[in-house]
Amino acid sequence: MNKYLQVGKISLRQEIAYPINFIMWRVRNVIQILLVYFLWDAAFSSPGRILFGYDRDKILTYIFGIMLVRAFVLSSKSMDVAGEISRGELSNSLVKPINYFKYWLSRDLASKVLNLLFATIEIVVLYFVLKPPVFLQGNLLLIFLFMSSIIFAILLFTILLFIVSSVTFWAPEAGWGAHFLLTVVIVEFLSGVLFPLDVFPLAVQKIINLTPFPYLVFFPLQVYLGKLTSPELVKGFVVDALWLIVFMYFLNKIWKKGLKAYEGYGR
Amino acid sequence: MEDKEKLQINNYKLQIVDLYKLFITRIKSVELKTWIKRLGFYIKIWWMMSKNAFMMYFNQKSILAIFLAGKIFRFTFFIIFLYFLVSGSKGLAGYNTNQIIFFFLSFNVIDITSQFLFREVYRFRTLVVSGDLDLILTKPINPLFRILFGGADVIDLITIPPVVAATIYMGAKLGPSAVSVFLYILLIINSLLISTAFHILVVSMAIITLEIDHTVMIFRDLSRLGTVPIDVFKQPLRGFITYVALRGFITYVVPIGIMLSFPAKAFLGLLDWNSVIASFVFGITSIFMTLRFWNFAIKKYTSASS
Repeated sequence: MNKYLQVGKISLRQEIAYPINFIMWRVRNVIQILLVYFLWDAAFSSPGRILFGYDRDKILTYIFGIMLVRAFVLSSKSMDVAGEISRGELSNSLVKPINYFKYWLSRDLASKVLNLLFATIEIVVLYFVLKPPVFLQGNLLLIFLFMSSIIFAILLFTILLFIVSSVTFWAPEAGWGAHFLLTVVIVEFLSGVLFPLDVFPLAVQKIINLTPFPYLVFFPLQVYLGKLTSPELVKGFVVDALWLIVFMYFLNKIWKKGLKAYEGYGR
Repeated sequence: MEDKEKLQINNYKLQIVDLYKLFITRIKSVELKTWIKRLGFYIKIWWMMSKNAFMMYFNQKSILAIFLAGKIFRFTFFIIFLYFLVSGSKGLAGYNTNQIIFFFLSFNVIDITSQFLFREVYRFRTLVVSGDLDLILTKPINPLFRILFGGADVIDLITIPPVVAATIYMGAKLGPSAVSVFLYILLIINSLLISTAFHILVVSMAIITLEIDHTVMIFRDLSRLGTVPIDVFKQPLRGFITYVALRGFITYVVPIGIMLSFPAKAFLGLLDWNSVIASFVFGITSIFMTLRFWNFAIKKYTSASS
């Protein structure tokens, strides 16, 4: 356990070693959020308007919530696994007495802590600049369920990154392309990062809810806002858990096959 | 005698005028010929460089397909989202669904064309850091031309025709006047001019600071604010200062408004003449200013690591 703690600490120091890179990345996040914020602010410009089941307070809380959830769930170093495989650098890790998944999970957690810290500062600054009405959840059970759904989301996203990175075992040059399609574009739209999925017609929502993507951002925020009934909560967590099991099983299979196909090019 | 002298002087005058006219015509024809010849030469170079870049993409067809699919997904998803948002909220900042989608399509025409033309800029930092820029500077072509246009992006090229077709289709539905269409086309060209100026600024700064990736990506993120009309970025009744600061910032400091919102506004007949003139002045001035900055920056290149 101690060695993974050290990995996390080193990873944290690495991030801080290139502060401009990190700050620029956070600036980009803020700009992206501003677009979404003002878009929704304009949509809710009429007082008392309720749209897609949201009032002004809840939708703006959702937008601010995105910053926080995104910092915790979607900020991840595991995307670099694809590069390690294609450059043959995976060989270095294979000969070391460490668990490769735990190694990346430690790095991910370090990155998440740093991102969360900055996201919190940004939220405070933006709150004082924009002065949005914010919905504060007072139900402790819902806060506990929100935090649980975040843990599920972190695991789901980390495993998804590993599965997508595994493509490079067979197609070393396709790593970034696969990530761009699945973990950038698809996740951006179907996880609720750009907009709450309630804007879609009910039939479309039902289909999207069967995929793993809404459980990364949309579902946790729905839990926090208290928009789900008890059966919907149970159903959400069941689907979430099922996807986690499917992903773990699939990753286990694909990783073993991938290692057999791995030739360590470049090393 | 006097008459004879006067006649001779007049003859001399006429001869001088004729000589001057001949001289000017010759100069003009020589300049024009040289200019056309240079233009043809640069088009040929651009075509060769683009062909090489396209061949590299076509060598990796699966990657080309993945990125193309990603771009199409992103484009389609955003249009669907805008459609549901604006139709659900019955208008956005005073615009209806078709108008908002037209803004989005116009943004894409400018953005994708810029990406198609200036993709090579994203690879410029490596040239400076490794000192490989020397190899470009010693070639008998304008180095800035090579740096800006050296690697056209085939994925963007594929997406340009459908986006332009969709823009024309959606534009026709809005029933514009001939003047609006003319102004729209001129302002789109002006936007591309501003985009060129921005890319010149980025490569110039890259020589001095060795930083390019974040500058370009932050510009692209800011550009994405132009997917919707700038009128969206306001908070009536509250946060007046924020409203003025932010809207002023994205309109003039980072010319998102001029670049991405003004063409569509002109198309809808919502742009006053002062703004139209200001856009063109901004576009032309920005090119001249950034070219001067480039001339300054290139002198700072140290050729380190070469």
